[in-house]
Parts: sequence; C-alpha cells; structure tokens
Amino acid sequence: MKFFPHLLVFICTALLPLTGCDSGGKEEPGSSFDRQAMLRHYADNLIKPSYTALLGRIETFKTQTSVFIANPTGTELSALQIAWAAAYTDWQYANAWNFGPSGEAGLKKGLVEEVGTFPAGTAKIESAVGAGQWNLEDFNRDARGFLAIEYLIYGQNQSADEVAALFAADAQRRDYLQALVNDLQRRISEVVNTWNSAYSSEFIQNDGTDVGSSISQLYNEFVRSYESIKNFKLGLPMGKRPGQTQAEPQLVEAYYSGLSLTMLKAHFAAVENSWYGRARNGQDGPGFREYLESVEGGNTLIAGTEAQLAALKSALAAVPESPALSEQIANNSPQLEALYVELSKMTRFFKSDLSSLLGIAITFSSGDGD
Amino acid sequence: MRVIIGAMLIFSTLRFIALGWVNDHYVCPTFHFKYFGFEWIEPLPGAGMYAVHGLLLISSLGVMLGGYFRYAAWAQFLLFTYTELIDLTYYLNHYYFVSIACFLLALTPANRAFSLDAWRKPSSFQTQVPRWTVFIFQLQLAIVYIFAGCWKINSDWLLHALPLKIWIPANDRLPVIGWLMRYECTPWLFSWAGMLYDVTIVFWLMWSRTRLWAYLTVIFFHSVTGMMFQIGVFPLVMMGATLVFFSEEWHKRWQNRLRMWGRKWPRFCQKSAIKSTPMQVNRTPGWIFALLLAHFVFQIVFPWRYLLYPGNVFWTEEGYRFSWRVMLMEKAGTAVFYVKDSRTGREGEVLNGEFLNPHQEKQMAMQPDLILQYAHFLKKHYEEKGLDNPTVRAEVYVTLNARPSQLLFDPELDLTKLSDGWSHKTWITPAPVSSGQ
Repeated sequence: MKFFPHLLVFICTALLPLTGCDSGGKEEPGSSFDRQAMLRHYADNLIKPSYTALLGRIETFKTQTSVFIANPTGTELSALQIAWAAAYTDWQYANAWNFGPSGEAGLKKGLVEEVGTFPAGTAKIESAVGAGQWNLEDFNRDARGFLAIEYLIYGQNQSADEVAALFAADAQRRDYLQALVNDLQRRISEVVNTWNSAYSSEFIQNDGTDVGSSISQLYNEFVRSYESIKNFKLGLPMGKRPGQTQAEPQLVEAYYSGLSLTMLKAHFAAVENSWYGRARNGQDGPGFREYLESVEGGNTLIAGTEAQLAALKSALAAVPESPALSEQIANNSPQLEALYVELSKMTRFFKSDLSSLLGIAITFSSGDGD
Repeated sequence: MRVIIGAMLIFSTLRFIALGWVNDHYVCPTFHFKYFGFEWIEPLPGAGMYAVHGLLLISSLGVMLGGYFRYAAWAQFLLFTYTELIDLTYYLNHYYFVSIACFLLALTPANRAFSLDAWRKPSSFQTQVPRWTVFIFQLQLAIVYIFAGCWKINSDWLLHALPLKIWIPANDRLPVIGWLMRYECTPWLFSWAGMLYDVTIVFWLMWSRTRLWAYLTVIFFHSVTGMMFQIGVFPLVMMGATLVFFSEEWHKRWQNRLRMWGRKWPRFCQKSAIKSTPMQVNRTPGWIFALLLAHFVFQIVFPWRYLLYPGNVFWTEEGYRFSWRVMLMEKAGTAVFYVKDSRTGREGEVLNGEFLNPHQEKQMAMQPDLILQYAHFLKKHYEEKGLDNPTVRAEVYVTLNARPSQLLFDPELDLTKLSDGWSHKTWITPAPVSSGQ
C-alpha cells in the first residue's frame, strides 16, 4: 500500500536535477504568453476599429446612394463610386474576422460570404431588377453585398453617364440598389453593435487554445483569409485549377471597377498586420509573431515567415499598377506568375507550421488518446 | 466489463450523432481514405449511416443489459469496426482498442450474471467464469499500456520533453491545474511521469496491495489528459476498462448495490439472486483458444514491424498505426497537389477543400500513405473530368515536434507512378534532425 506513493515521490525527486527546477516557485508563472492580452489587443486595436471605420464608410456611401437616387446623374454616380471604393477598401481590413457576431448562424453564413461573395451573379441581379423583387436572406449571395453593388454602379464597360441613365430610367433598379446598400449597412452595424456590447469581453475571456477558443477562431479565419487571396483572388482567374483550360480574368474580385489590384494589396496588408498584431494605424502589440516568440521553435519560424513575407512583398510590388488586374491576367503577366509562386510558398508558414507550434486545435474531431 | 463496454459505446455513439459527426464524417466528404486490405469498405448513403449508428445503439444496449448477448456482442463488434474502417483519417488508437474489446467480449460468456439473458433463462446463470475470460482483457490492457509506455522512451519525449513542451503551455488556462502549465519544468515532469505510468501501471493494478492507489492514479492521469487534450471518450474508456483488474468480491459488492437501487424491478433481482449452479464449466471450445492465441501473438508482434523499415517511424509513419503509439508527436503539414494534363501540359493546383473536410485534409497532409491514396484519387477524378492521362505531384511540407518544416518528398515526383504497399517507401526524404527512435 505504501510502496506506490513512495515510488512516486522517488520519481519526482529523481526528476528535479534533470530539469534544474526546484519544485517550489521557480520563475514567475507569468513567463508563459499572455493570450488574454493578445486577444484584448486584437479586439480593441484591430477588429473593432476595422469594423467601426468600415461602418463609417458605409454610412457615407449610404448617404451618397440617397443623393444619387434622388438625382441619378453621371456626376453623382462618380461620387458614389468613390464612396464605394473607400468602403470596399476598408472591408479588406475587416474581412478576416468571421466569427462571433460575424460567424455562421443557422442559414446565415459568415460575413465574408454574405457581403463579399464574388464574382457577382449578373444574371441573377438583372432578373431581380427586372422582376422588381428580391430576397436578401437566401443563398444567392452573389446577388447582394459589395460586389453586386459594384456591378450595378460601375456597369460593364459603360461610362458614368450611361450607367446613371439606366438608373434614371428604371425605378426598380434604384430600389434594388437602395435595398442592397441598406442590407449591407444593417449587417455591418449589427456586427459593430455586438462587438461593442457583450461580445468583446466574451472574446477576450475565451482564452484557451481548443477548438472554439478565440485564438483558434482568429487563427482559422486568418488562414482562410490568406488562402482566399491565393486561391480565389488570383488562382481561379489565372486558371490555376486543374480542369481549367485557360485563364478566366472576369473572375477577379472587383472586376467592374477595375480596382482588383488595389483591393488585393489592401487585403494582403491586412493579413500581414494580423500576423504581426499591428493595427491599421501602425500601432503594434502582441500578435501571432509575439506569441511565437514564447514557444519552442518559434524564433526559427519567425525568421522563415518574415523572409517569405519580404519575398512576397517584393513580388507584389513588382506587379504594375496598370492595366487592370484582369487585363494583366489575360496577358499572362510573368509578374503575376511570380507573385502566385511566392503566395504558394507562404502557405505552409501560416497554415500548418504556425498552428503546430502554438498547439492550436483547428478541427473538432478528437485526437489520439494517451 | 460487459456493462461498461455497452454503456461506453452507447455514450460514444450518441455523442457522434449529437455532434453531427455522422454527417460530417461519413456523408459529406466526397472521398474516403481506405485501410490497406479494406479498400472495399464503403460508407452507406446518408440515411444508411444513421441506420448503422442506430443499430449500433441497439446492439450496445443489448450488450449492456445482457439481452440476446451473443448476437448483440457480435453485432456491436462488426458495426463499430465497420464505422471505423470507412475512413482511415479517423483512426484513433482508442477506437482500435474499443474494437478489440468488443471482439474479445463477443468471445466470452459474459451474459451469465446480472443480465437479461440469465433472467430469461435462469439455467444459464453462473457467478463464476473461466479465468481466461478475465485474463484476456487484462492482457489486452497490459499490451496497450506497456507498448504506449515503451514508445515514449525516445530522446524527443524524455530529453526534450517534446511534444509536451508544445502542448502544455497551450493549456495554461485550464481550471484547477492550469497554473501548473506555466512552469518550465512541467513538460519534463509530465513526460517522465507519463512514461513511467504507462510502463508500470499494469503491475500496480495487478498487485492487490497497490491496486487502490494505482486505480486512483488511473483516474487522476486520465482526468488530467482528458482535460488537456481533445481526446474524446478515451479517458472514460480507460477508466472503465481498468476496473477489470479489481477482484471478484469488489465487483460483486457493486453489483449488489446496483441491485438495491433496482428494487423497483423485483422480478429481475429475485431471479438473478437465485443461487448459481455451482461452477459447471462448459468446456470452452478449442477454436476460441486458437483464435485468442492468434490474436495475442498478432498483438504482441505487429507493433514491432516498424523495425523492418529503415528511417524514422515518426517521419515515414511506416509501422506507426495499430501499435499503441499515442500522443507521441506534434506533426502537421501543408500539402499542395498539382495535376497536369499530359497532352496540353497545363498544370493546375487542387483545392483540397473541394474533396476533403478539414480533418481529413489535416491528417492526409502529414501521412505518406494517405497522400499517395489521395493522389491516385485525384488522377481518377480528373481523368473522368476529361484530363488526358493526368500526372499528380505534390509539394508537402511537414513540421515534426516544432522543427522547421521540410519537404516530405521531392515535389517533382509523379505520385501516380507510385503505389502503396508494405514495402519501404524509398521516395520519402530522410527525417529532419534525428528524432525519437
């Protein structure tokens, strides 16, 4: 009966010299990484500001929509396009937080699917306009959100006057635009409200590393956001899928405005910020990078990640500003090929290395027992 | 034992259904990874998988209550094993253990007491069982624990406290024990304690003088690991299963107490309370012993097969499964597949999410044999989509126990030219820095 506890004690004692640890209170337990501080930083300095700024831009855009609808001229349309571009740029900084108030719930998908689906379903949009009726809660997500609006207000190779004339002649087109803008504004303001009330502290308190923890959600969405640049904003339009027989430039994001490259750069900047834990205004704080510093093998991974980030940034900088991305894709631009290669090389640093070192659980299924 | 296994499976099956895993695991994915030799096993369409789980529930109930035990036990074993064999990426050592336990149980006459069968047919009632029926479970548990412990004796585990050094700090927010995880020595302490526990626990459990202490340790050990890791029902399985080491008197005491609670059903209790026909050993058929012998020889020999392969078993995973290697490594990979049309020369990058769920993708990305299977699937899939004699290559980076990730094999290799088998996979690159055995 007595033998066993004695043995345990013996084992523990035998271990002490090995670990160089005098069982009492060696170093401060606080020496491990403070995930709550990291989450607080993301909530207060990255996530909430990005949504708040976005909502501000969308409200401006909404005001301008009313102005345009009351006076559908080319001049007012141009002002509306500028307001849209400003809002959509801000969206790039907010598109990676699809959990909590922006997560899936019932029939509602994540926010990025609800307001950021592309390419726009032009046929669906035109038939909704023609019929004068629409449902903004169904699965036709390519007929609503930022990129459906983009299609409506930019048109296909049409001047501002020509597009404005379509609106002037068609009340249902005006109504649909207004409905889409209202829907967008409603969705974002709901998210902002929830973050500003209960969710912020819930997010910060949920500071484990299991599935469903804030870190795991933040991480999963971070990777998904990164991969969407490579797979959907570049890969698919460039014809990178097996079975695609040629490039399909019309599949780029923001095709009608021709702002694809601007948006892609903003999106990439947001991804980089998220890895560093850097706010859009440059304010730095504890992020994935700092978290890595505290774990086994972390510094090596930081070095590898930063080297690849640098390569990726210079590949991105090498892509000319004009012509539009879709045109460059059609021309088989070697710079885009090079960018795609660098994006591919980046994947493993984010996708498997980071979560493995941090011990973040990424799927629900049980692991092996011990 | 019978009651525990039955109850456990009921719980586990309900958990599967409740979590929506039947749908996620078996119905949704377009592709399933097959076990070598069991490629013919296919999932049933939608409702079929629910029916299987429903039947599994019923048979487990039968096993737990001891009603139509012989049929229920075999049904339980076959159904559970079937669900496990559908997709290799869900392989877990503890499901393997449950399968084996169901198999062993089906061989025993575990319906002679405290069961509906004994109540239906009182003549079959017996309070004594041949020694072997208890021994096989003890032996099986000993095999599990001792192998699990032996594999922990490697340099990563003992000298570098890996992978615990990764997992432990990630758990520093747990209630009660979280604070422990913040000390630098904790991973070493846990590594050594875990190894010693696994290697020796069976002996402490067998010896009556240490049994109670040992069982408390079992509870403690599995509770802690259950809190720390996402390992599902495993802690419950082991806590339940190790009860088989306790003595006959101890078990009877509990059964009697259960009967007291069950007084509402007096007929059941009275019948089971009648004296048993004094131990008349129906001779156990010889085939059962032969089967058991074969089983245990396999159990003891098979885990050593990794010795036949050159290279690091953690890296190549040749001989890794079915060997009670549990929680030994933190491994993850990113696998990007490229499919090329041989005629046009156009190459495309596969979006794994089109075919696999996140769990399948995660498991596939680090296991060479799964990568190969997936590559062959892709070839077939894209052939059907009209690609001309497609070749498949993959760039797979794997990180093992916090080492920088590196290529698992040459990314220019045409995977469709390779086939899986028992022989050594010479195409795998050497493991990073020597790790483990």
